[in-house]
Order: sequence, then C-alpha cells, then structure tokens
Amino acid sequence: MNSYISAPDSLQAKAGNASGHIDQLLNSNPNLWRGCDMAGQGFHGHSTGFSQLDSILPGKGWPQKGLMEVISPQWGMGELQLLLPLMRSVIDSGKWILWISPPHSVYAPALVQAGIDTNQILVVKIDASCKDALWSMEKAFQTENCGLVLAWQNWLPGTVLRRLQLAADTGNTLGVIFKKNECKHSPSPTRLQIKESSLQKDHFSTAQVTVLKARGNFRSLSTDIDLYSHQLA
Amino acid sequence: MEETKTSGQLSLAIPSKDSPEATSSQMTAKKTPEAGASLSSASLLSSNLVLTCVDTQIDPNQATGVGLAGIGKSVATSKINDNTSSDSNSNSNSKKSRPSLWYAIYFPQLGKLDDLQQKDALTDLAAKAISVSSTVSFHELALVCEIRSSLGYFGGINLLHDKLKGVLSTALIAMDQPEHFFYASSPTVSGSLLLARAGQNKLVYQKSNLRSALGTLPVDVLNLSKEQNRRLYNMGIRHLKDIWRLPGDGIRKRFGSEFMDQLNKALGKAQEPTLNYLPPPTFSSSYDLPYELENLDRLLPIVDEIIGQLCDFLTRRDLSTSHLMFSLFHEKRSPTCIEISLRQTSRSSTHFLLLVETYFHNLTIPAAVIAISLVVNQFDAFFSHTDSLLLDGRPDATSRENNLNQFMEQLKARLGDNYLKGISCVAEHRPEYASACVDINTHTKKNSIKKYTQDKVATRPRPIWLLEKPEELVEKNSRLYHRKAISIISGPERIETAWWADHDVRRDYYIAQEVSGSRLWIYRERSGERRWFLHGYFS
Repeated sequence: MNSYISAPDSLQAKAGNASGHIDQLLNSNPNLWRGCDMAGQGFHGHSTGFSQLDSILPGKGWPQKGLMEVISPQWGMGELQLLLPLMRSVIDSGKWILWISPPHSVYAPALVQAGIDTNQILVVKIDASCKDALWSMEKAFQTENCGLVLAWQNWLPGTVLRRLQLAADTGNTLGVIFKKNECKHSPSPTRLQIKESSLQKDHFSTAQVTVLKARGNFRSLSTDIDLYSHQLA
Repeated sequence: MEETKTSGQLSLAIPSKDSPEATSSQMTAKKTPEAGASLSSASLLSSNLVLTCVDTQIDPNQATGVGLAGIGKSVATSKINDNTSSDSNSNSNSKKSRPSLWYAIYFPQLGKLDDLQQKDALTDLAAKAISVSSTVSFHELALVCEIRSSLGYFGGINLLHDKLKGVLSTALIAMDQPEHFFYASSPTVSGSLLLARAGQNKLVYQKSNLRSALGTLPVDVLNLSKEQNRRLYNMGIRHLKDIWRLPGDGIRKRFGSEFMDQLNKALGKAQEPTLNYLPPPTFSSSYDLPYELENLDRLLPIVDEIIGQLCDFLTRRDLSTSHLMFSLFHEKRSPTCIEISLRQTSRSSTHFLLLVETYFHNLTIPAAVIAISLVVNQFDAFFSHTDSLLLDGRPDATSRENNLNQFMEQLKARLGDNYLKGISCVAEHRPEYASACVDINTHTKKNSIKKYTQDKVATRPRPIWLLEKPEELVEKNSRLYHRKAISIISGPERIETAWWADHDVRRDYYIAQEVSGSRLWIYRERSGERRWFLHGYFS
C-alpha cells in the first residue's frame, strides 16, 4: 500500500525538466486529481500525531478542509485523544475551535494538560436546538478564524451533510462530526471514517482505527494505535 | 409664597458701617424650621461697594457667625427682592450687558472619595444640575452653574434653588452621601466658589459688592499649600481683605502669579475659562408603521433605515456603539425588547443589520407590530482600523479580530448567551469546580496573556469529558460494572478537600477501562457507603 504513495518522490528525483513541468501543470489544477497520488497533489494533511495512522491516511494526515466523520460505538472511546494533536496545532496557529453540542461538559484542565489554550475554545451547549447547532456549524466554516469545528450529531440527512461539506470546503476549514452508528451508504461528503474498537481484550491501551473511506484510498485500511501513550497506563 | 413656608421671617438690611453713601440692597432672609431657634441661618449679605478697600468690612463675627450657622443641617434659603434694589446704576448696567451670575455648589462630603469616584459623582450631580442651567462646569468638589439666564424662567433665585436642592438631595442620597451642600452665588465663578467653600451660603448680585463679601473670608478657602498658609499666617494675614491691603507686586513675587490670578478671577478682574459639563449623547428613533406587520422580515427595510440614521449620527459625532435597544410595539401588549450588545464597538450598518436579522430569526412576537423604536445610550470613541501598506491583500491581525468578533456576535445573537460559552480553568482541587463556563464577552484573547496556566492545573491525568452528575457504578462479585465490566488501570489519586465548605470532597480517583474500550475516570467515596461513581471519560 505504501508503494504508490512513495512512487512520485522517486519519479521526481529521476525526472528532468520536462516531466517536472508536466507535474507542475497537473498539480496546478485542484479539480484534477489522480487517485494514485494524493500526497503529491496538494492534499498535504495535518499530521495526526500517530505515525501508524499517518501511514494509512492519504496525504499522510488529516485533510486540510472538508468534512470528516468519526464513528465510535459510544462516546468516550478515545475519539478526542485521536484529535488532540490536531487541536493543538490549530490553537497554536491562532485559530479557534468550536465545539458543537458535546455530550458532556468539556473539562478545561484536561485540555490545558494536553497543551491546548482554552481561551480559543467556544462551546455551543448540547441543549441548543439541532437547527441552531447546524447553523452555527455552517457559520463557523465560513469564518476564517475557526480552524476546527467539532460536532456531535448522530444522524444527519445526506443533503445537510452535503451542504456542510460545501461550506467546509469553501471556508477552508475542517469539520469533524462524531457519530455513534455507522451508516454504510453515507453520502459522498464524508471523506473519512474512523472506527475504533479494542483489539485485544486484555490489553486496553490500544484502539483499532479503520479508515473506511477517504479520497485517495481504494479500500479500507486499519491500524492499531496506542491512544493514551502520553498518560500513564 | 414665603409666608406659607417659613416659620420665622426676618428681614435684615445690612447697612455698611462706614459708608453711608452706599446703598444697601434690602433683603429678606427666611429661616428654615430645621435651623433651630438659636440663630438665624440666613446668610445673605450684600454689602456695599467701597472704593477704598481698607475699612470696608462688616464685622467678621457677624458675617461668619451668620454664615456658618447654616452649615450644620439646614441650608438656608435666601430671597432677594430685586425691585427694592435702589442701586440704579448697576441695575441699568445689568440690563445692558446681563453679566452672568454664577451659582456654586460645594459638596465637602465628596472629599472622602477617591479621584475617580469624585469625578463620577460630580458628573452624576452635573447631570441633575443641568436642569436649571445650560452651563455647568466642574471644579474641585464643586459645580458652578450660570443662572442669570434662567432666573426669569424659574421665577427668581429662590424657586431655582428649591428645584436644585430637590434634585441634588435625591441624587446625593442615591449615592449614599449626606444630602447637605453649600452654595453661593456671585458674578464670578471663583468668587462663588470661595464663598461656597467658606460655607457662607451667600448671594452677591453686584460685582462691585464682591470685594467686601469676599474680604471677610478666611485665607483657608484659597486651598493653599501648607507652606504658603504658614507664610501668610506669619505675615499676619487671616482674611482675604488683609491680602488686598498689601501691594500686588509684592504678593505676586512672594506667592507666584497663580495666587494673584485666583484672587483677580474672584473679583472679576481676570477671565475664567471653565470646563463645562456636556450631557452624554443619546440616539433614539422610532417609526410608526402604517399598518400592522406580522412578518418580521417585512420589518427589515425599516430597521435598515433606522440603522442608517444611527450610523449617520455616529459618523457625525465620531462615535461608535456596542449596545442597541430595539423595541417592537404591539397593540394592547407590552413591547418586545431586543437588546443587542456587541463584543466590540462598531458603527457598521451592515453588521448591525445582520445582527438584527439574526435576532429576528429566532424571535416570536406575541402580536402584530405597530411601531418600532431604537434607543442607544452607550457610546464609545470610534477607532478606525488602519490597513498596513504592504499587506498584499492578506488580512492582518486587526481585521481577523474583527471578523472573529462579528462571528461571535452573530452566534450569540442566534443562540443566546446561555448556549454559547467559553471555558476556562479555575484553581480548585475539587474536580467539578476546576473548570468553568465563562461568558464569551469576557472571554477574550486578552485574558490569555499569561498563556495557559499550567500551574493552575492538576498534574495527574484529567478526563476531557466530565459528567455533570457522577453516575453510580454497580459492584457485583467484587467487579465493577458501568455498561460493561470495568477494570482499574491506575490509582488511587486521593482528593480530600473543602471540608470547610458545604460540598466537601473525600474521594479516591482511579483510571479505569471498560471492556468496550472507553477509558473512564471513576472514584470511590471515602466516607459513608463507599460507593463507586463514574465521573468522566478520557475520550
């Protein structure tokens, strides 16, 4: 699986001026993309902070923009640990993170422990109506100050997802939707689904992360990640 | 009018002792009931003009005695009878040029406050005093109003004083201050101030009478430095009239020109610039609809027009605002009020309109709207944002900040204050109090100058989700169950604190793992039934 990701590097090293020019032309148009080469086409992702996950994600990391679904059978499976490095880099770049209707109260000391400045975090409480939550999500995508939008919505119709996807794409923002149940025929806007489950019953600290669908991946890949490595086990 | 109010009335004409040629204005002073019977609290003096200043004085005992009697509780009301003034010369003068009459109000009780509080208090009082005069100026612990122009309107100085006393007393009581104050009126600002500061509630109508009225005041009223007071004392000077006996040049050399200027101003020989009170601007605009409107979207063009007026108003005065109050009026119902408060002051009509639109979107009105009004009371100076020269179209920090503020205001307008919160750490050992929701208006980047405060936070791992109410765990066959079986990974971390408060905490915290894969933060009570609780998800 790694072969087609590393291929262009070796190609470029060999290539002369002419093929470099062709690459440049190919890369200049964002609407033209080749499935075999995501990393070389401007889909440079944010590193996830987990090397195993980076290696199975196209673009070697989280996508820069668009909508992402994270599916876990229940809340609290480690889905936020997975995103902590991303949150840290967003905050460090001076942008804000909007949390939309998180299921429990967000605990500031934990975020500070993870090196996240809580002064750049906004929380829309869970008792806000779903319509308002989606509205604020779309608005957040449209402002340049929001670097990341986290939303907890169990079921959203395809048209809504599509609309959010468009907003996130045009606003250059990454939106993460946390879901409990997997919907196999979830419409196209979803780029990435990450499923977690404990691999071994006796060894708790690892979680299985599966990339069900991502632009640039042809089949689902999965890996085991130690999510709580920074904490004492 | 006097007869109805006063208990005892005395009419005193104070003739000048040694200048029989000068006429004395006749005046009546009334004694207020509170003053007690000891002495007439009337303190009205209008002494006479004498060109040779040496001997022109009223017996100081008499003068100060009369004046100070009023200090205790009551404020004497004075009355002057204009018609009886036989000083035809100065009367005609006043008709020609209408010299101003300054009414000084001295509040010694404000001296206890600090500078800022004094300023606020004086501004509040000036806002009340503006009801009798268009010119109110600020002085040390005192206000001075120009009242010549309003004497005719209020029907004399007595009625004017009654009105002023009423509003100022209520204002002082509202400030938790004693309600008494001293006042004096004379043709010069400084003269009135000196008289008021001496506690002599006097009225001096003619500029020519000022000198003798001021002459009897002790030098303390000049508010001199300790050193200057000492020197004056050593020179044998006790009253202002003693200073006037001395040659002006010498005084100027010894005490500086400021000192002489003050005296000259008091006598009306020098100009007195004053710092006048300007009432704060308010904007209010309303629109009566020709027909009832149910649909708020149809109201937006009218709102647009009103906001346009507001922005014109702001631009003309170079102001911006952060607080708008819309009221929608209904037939037979109380009006619906919409308060729009902004994170940052603004005067952009598009931004205002967008916010109103967002507010309208969530608004349910009880009945059709028949009128709409906008009131704005709070204004700030307008600071425009400058774009840097070499920007290349990239947004700079200030415009990003602006965008952020506009975004937050819009979110707040739609969701309401209660649903949009920031979070922050609190230095507290009890886990449930260590994180706080804060209002986004106070939650700005400026708070984070300290950067995130690692020292405020516990060193042991904390969960990202904290349950508002801990869930009790089931213990079966010496195993813990939440939804599935739980096994403890690490712990305990003992938190035992706040025994002095109502919600004391005595717990052992553990990090545990559920079979399904969730990592949990659980605790066991150290007292009572020693039950187990789930308190958070590490997620």
